[in-house]
Order: sequence, then C-alpha cells, then structure tokens
Amino acid sequence: MPLIVKDHTWTQNQNTVYISVPLKGVKPASVHVICTDEYLKVSFPPFLFEVFLFGSINEERSEARIGNGVAVFTLQKRRDESWEQLFTNIDKDKQKQIREQAVLKVQQKEAEKSKAKAARIQQEKKYALETMMKLENKERDRIQKMKDEECARATAELDFWRETQRKTAEEKENQQKTRGTGPQDNQPVNQKTVTLMRNTGDTTSGQRSRKQTAKDLPAPRSAGCIQISFTPRVFPTALRESRVPEEEEWLKKQAEARRAVDTDLAELDDLREDERNPDWLKEKGDKLFMSGNYQAAVNAYNLAIKLNRKIPALFSNRAACHLKLRNLHKAIEDSSQALELLKPAVAANASARLKAHVRRGTAFCELELYVEGLQDYQAALEIDPHNAALRADSDKICEIIQGTT
Amino acid sequence: MSSALEKPQIIAHIQKSLNYTVFDSQWIPCSAKFVCMGNFARGSGVLQIYEIQHGELQLVREIEKAKPIKCGTFGATSLQQRHLATGDFDGSLNVWNLEVPESPVYSVKAHKEIINSIDGVGGLGIGDGAPEIVTGSRDGTVKVWDSRQKDTPVVNMEPMEGETKRDCWTVAFGHAFNDQDRCVCAGYDNGDIKLFDLRNMSLRWETNIKNGVCSVEFDRKDINMNKLVATSLEGKFHVFDMRTQHPTKGFASVSEKAHKSTIWQVRHLPQNRDIFMTAGGAGNLHLWKYEYPAQRTKKGADDVDMGVAGSVNLLQNVTLSTQPISSLDWSPDKQGLCVCSSFDQSVRVLIVTKLNTV
Repeated sequence: MPLIVKDHTWTQNQNTVYISVPLKGVKPASVHVICTDEYLKVSFPPFLFEVFLFGSINEERSEARIGNGVAVFTLQKRRDESWEQLFTNIDKDKQKQIREQAVLKVQQKEAEKSKAKAARIQQEKKYALETMMKLENKERDRIQKMKDEECARATAELDFWRETQRKTAEEKENQQKTRGTGPQDNQPVNQKTVTLMRNTGDTTSGQRSRKQTAKDLPAPRSAGCIQISFTPRVFPTALRESRVPEEEEWLKKQAEARRAVDTDLAELDDLREDERNPDWLKEKGDKLFMSGNYQAAVNAYNLAIKLNRKIPALFSNRAACHLKLRNLHKAIEDSSQALELLKPAVAANASARLKAHVRRGTAFCELELYVEGLQDYQAALEIDPHNAALRADSDKICEIIQGTT
Repeated sequence: MSSALEKPQIIAHIQKSLNYTVFDSQWIPCSAKFVCMGNFARGSGVLQIYEIQHGELQLVREIEKAKPIKCGTFGATSLQQRHLATGDFDGSLNVWNLEVPESPVYSVKAHKEIINSIDGVGGLGIGDGAPEIVTGSRDGTVKVWDSRQKDTPVVNMEPMEGETKRDCWTVAFGHAFNDQDRCVCAGYDNGDIKLFDLRNMSLRWETNIKNGVCSVEFDRKDINMNKLVATSLEGKFHVFDMRTQHPTKGFASVSEKAHKSTIWQVRHLPQNRDIFMTAGGAGNLHLWKYEYPAQRTKKGADDVDMGVAGSVNLLQNVTLSTQPISSLDWSPDKQGLCVCSSFDQSVRVLIVTKLNTV
C-alpha cells in the first residue's frame, strides 16, 4: 500500500494552478506523473499523491518541474475561474473510471509518440539515401562526360584525317590531270603521294624511292618445293583427336585388376603369404618358364589366375607355356582370354596385344588352321608394322594357304 | 580515377549488323574505306566496301561471287592499284581490282580444299623484292604465288609422301628486309609452327605448341625478323624472340594465357611494333605491350648464344560481343583505328586512344 501524500500545497490565480508536492527524499528520477484534463497522479514509491481536479485543465499546456526535493506543477486552467478547492469529491466508482481513463490516455499518447518517432526516422533515412544517390549520380555523370569528351575528340580527329585524305586524293587527281598521262610522269606523282602519306619531307628518300620504282621488280622466284613432316601423334595429341577416354578406361581397368583378389577359397588356408600374391606367383611362373620347367610354370599361373582372374599377363604367359607344351587348344583359349582383357586397344597395351596375337597365330598354324592364324598375324602386323620377322612369317603363311587352295 | 583514364581506351565507334556471315575485314590502304568478306546464307560469296562518313558506315559497293570468301589481303599490291587478293572456300586464289570486279586480275585454283589463310608481301611500298602471296589450306599445303606466273606456285610446302596431312590454319610473311630474303611462317591444327626460309628453300625452324595454332604474325614483315606471336586454342599465345636462333632450342618465347577461350587473331599495330591486339572466342579484345628484357641474348651452357624472351603486359581489354571476333585489322594510315568482324554477323570500327603515350 503506497503512502498517500497529504502535505502538498497549492496556489492559484485566474488561469493557473500551482501545486507543489514534497518529494520526501525520493530521487526525482523515480517520480512518475500521470496527468489528464481532470486528474493528476504523482507516484514516487513508496508515496502516492493523486487529486481529482476541481475544474478541467489543459494538459498539453501544463508543465511539471521536478527537482530540489519538490515537484511543482503548473496547470493551465481551461476556463478562467477561481477554484474553491483543489479537488472535487467524487464517489469511488467515478474515481476508478477516471483513473482507468487516465491510464488509457497515457498509453495512447505513448503509442502516438513512438509512431511519430518511427515515421520521423524513416523520413530521415529516406532523405539520407536520396542525397547519397544524388552524389553518386553526379560522380557517374562526371566520368561519363570525360569518356564522351574522349570519344568526341577521337571522332573529330578521325573526321579531320578523312578530310585530309580526301584532299590529298583530289590533289593527286589534279596533278595527274595537269601533268598528263604516261608512265614516266606518274613517278614524280607516286613519289609525291608517298611522301605525303608518310609525312616525310625528305627529298633524298623521295629520290631513292623513285629510283626503285624505275628499276624492275625481281623476276619471279624459281620454283621450289619444301617437303615437311608433322609432329608424330604421341599422347598428348591435338586435343581434338586425343584418345583420352580410352586411355583412362584402360588405366581404370588395370587398377581394378590389381584389387580383384579372390581370397575366399578353402584351399588357400594352407598357403604361405607369398603364395597368395598373384604378382609373386607370376614372377615365379616367369622364372620357371625361363628355366624350361613349363608344367610347373603352368601350375604357378593356374594358382595366380585362381586368385585374380583379371590380369591379362597371366593368361598370355600361360598361353606361351601351353604352346611350349604343345597344348595348342589351351594356348588358343588362354591367348583369346588375354586379348579379351586387353580391351580397349590403346598405345599402352600395344606390346601385350602384339604378343597375344602372335601366340594365338602360332597355335592356329600348328593346328593347320592357317586362315585364322593369318588373321592373327595381320592383326599383329597392324600393331607393329616394322617387325621383319612378323612380316616373313605372315608371308610364309600366305604361301602355304595359296599352295593348299 | 585519373590513372585509369591514362590507359589506352578501346572505344566502339561504329557497329553495323550485316545480313551475311563475315569472315574477314581489311582496310583499303590510303583511304577511309574497308572491305568485308564473307558468305551469304544462300551459299555465295560477298565483298562489301564500306566508307566511314559522319560516324556511320555507308555501303559503297557490294560484289557477289560464286563461292564464299574466307580471307583477303592487300599486302601484295602497289598503292596505286590496290588490288585485293582473296582465298575462297573452293581453294581458289583470286586477285580483284575493286573498280572492275567482274573478272579477276589473276586467278588460280590454288588448293584442293578451303584456303584458311592468306598473306601478301612486297606491295604497298613496304619492303623490297617481288610482291608475293602465300596461302595456307586445309589440304595441309602452303603455297607461295607470284601474280606474274600463271597456274603454278613459286614455292610449295607440302607434306612428304605417305604423311597424314594436317590442316594449315594460318600463314604469315616475315623477314623480307631485302630483295632476296623472305620467310613464311605457317601454323597447323596440331600445334605445329614451321618457319620456311624462301631464300634457301628449306625449313628453318619448327616447334609444337600442343594446341592448334589459330594465328601467327611477325611484328613487321619488312625487317630482319624480330618477334613472332602465335595464338592457339585454349586461350594461350606465345611471343617468340626471333633475333637469336639456338641450333637445338630454337627461339626463346614467353607465353601468356588470356581470354579463357580460343584466341582467333593477333594483329600488331602498324605504327608501333611492340603493341598488339588479340581477339578472343568470347568476343573480347585484349591490347598488349611487349617489354624487351635487359639483355636480348645470353650465353647458353655450351657457349652458344640463345635468346631471352621479354614480358607481355595487358594494357586494356574490352568485351564487344558474345560471339568470337574472327578478324581484326589496324588501319595503316590512322593510329588506333581498327576494324573487327565477328560471328554475330556484325562489323565494328574501333578507336583505341592514347597509343602514342603508352
């Protein structure tokens, strides 16, 4: 419950009421005033002073001064009259009504004030933006003007130059007319136009050019022919023709083949670590082939292929072993398998393909299937046209075919 | 702000839309006119002569020919005659007198396939020696013609027997500083650049820049060869210093990547041989200046002189169109004036300012 202040003082004259309320030690900052036309409330916790005014006042033109331990209110009366007392006696309900009205009014006023403030800020922002735009436009115009001046100056020079061209062309025509026609007479004119064009007033250079035009031009060159060869087509080639996609595919296939190790076979449990590595097995197989132990080599390759079915070299080498062992059908199968794996046909796997073709061709010929053999030899020659041995062999096969048909 | 405006500016002075595909445009020497060459949609060739008047292009003459025309040059005629040598899609070389264009002054079936590029030397009062025209064609041969000799070329640079041919995309004359000496540089679609010496009738130098060569040009045709610029697909161009040839390493070069697309054309400014402009496939033009190094030669490992390449600075660039700018020609009479044509069927006259102070 706030403490009602009753020791206020008031005075009046014809049109103003002065009320002075002691602040009782409360700081002026915590004084809150609500004032309407008929009601004044000053609350400074824990104190409260309210009064229902005798007559109505003009709230807008009244003022409050809070300081020095006292709050002084100067209220402008609406009607110039003398009040008998400061407050009227009204019943409680009316009091409550008036209080509520006062609060509402104050709220409204606050709302209006804030709206007005917002509108003002908006307007100021707009103004700032407009001035900034104006400044920027001015700057841009200035630059544009400089550019236009530059352009106009260049155009003027161009027109002037064109005029001079035309004048010199006319002068040349006039001179030609006055001097008459004839090759000799044209030369001083030529010289003159040349000097005009080149802007050299040097007579010695003019004389030199005259001497040159008098002399004959050198005879046409005696015919010559220069033979050229172009840079050979190695990778990277002219990008338009590069076989990059195929090369990439081949490289990817190689990478996959490396990784495709099939390790879930029961027999492998009793093998050493070495013997599970297809590369190691391939090397072992190669060594056995070199030393002549073809059957053992075949075994090694078999195991390697069981581990990894994607390496073409294994099939190709096994084909060579079978060839030595005279297992011709198996040799053909293996080299066919190798060739299957060696697609796409790129420069990188050319030598491998060459070997596979040769082995298969040999196997076919041994089986007396000379036509198929010849096909393989032709394919090999396409890969390596400069191999004399290949050429000799394929010629021999051709002869045999022609001999039998 | 001021420093930005001290750089040369490329101003598009006039732009004209045409109703045909234009492949090449060349200034007529000593005049304010230029010729545009191309082909109509109906498959016939066209030559149009325009004159610049009051900031606009006036069509002076239109000449229609049977076959589309790919390239042309005034390089091999005298200043009085000003005959235009053109190469067309059929492989024919024709030299026209533009006043009387009904029949050519000189005509020959130069190649079996389209003539991609043509250049002339010895005319226009520039250089010494006989006027000659060189043509490079899709059939892989480069031939040099003299208009006084009918039907056969004076020099023929062709692939050897059994060699697969590669398209020749560009040719240029150079090193024509006296009556006898002359060089032809040819660029091919596999990146080969070959330099032929016509005095000795031999291949003087060759190299490969990996991507097809779209355009080669010497900085001056009529001096001891100084610099050669070669542009290629994929936005690279190389500047070779041609003064010092090393027996194995050839010529020193500096290369620059620009344009992010094919560089279709390079042209040196006739008034300053260190400034050149490149035209790109994205419709942009770059203006470059070459700076010479402190020493142009140095001693290599085996005590043989080798060249030192300098550096290239970009002065200005501008984007004019969305389609490639296929041809560019500087006016020999007015510094900074140039005409360019592009595949959006338009031709533009440009003015490049401040070239005398760069």
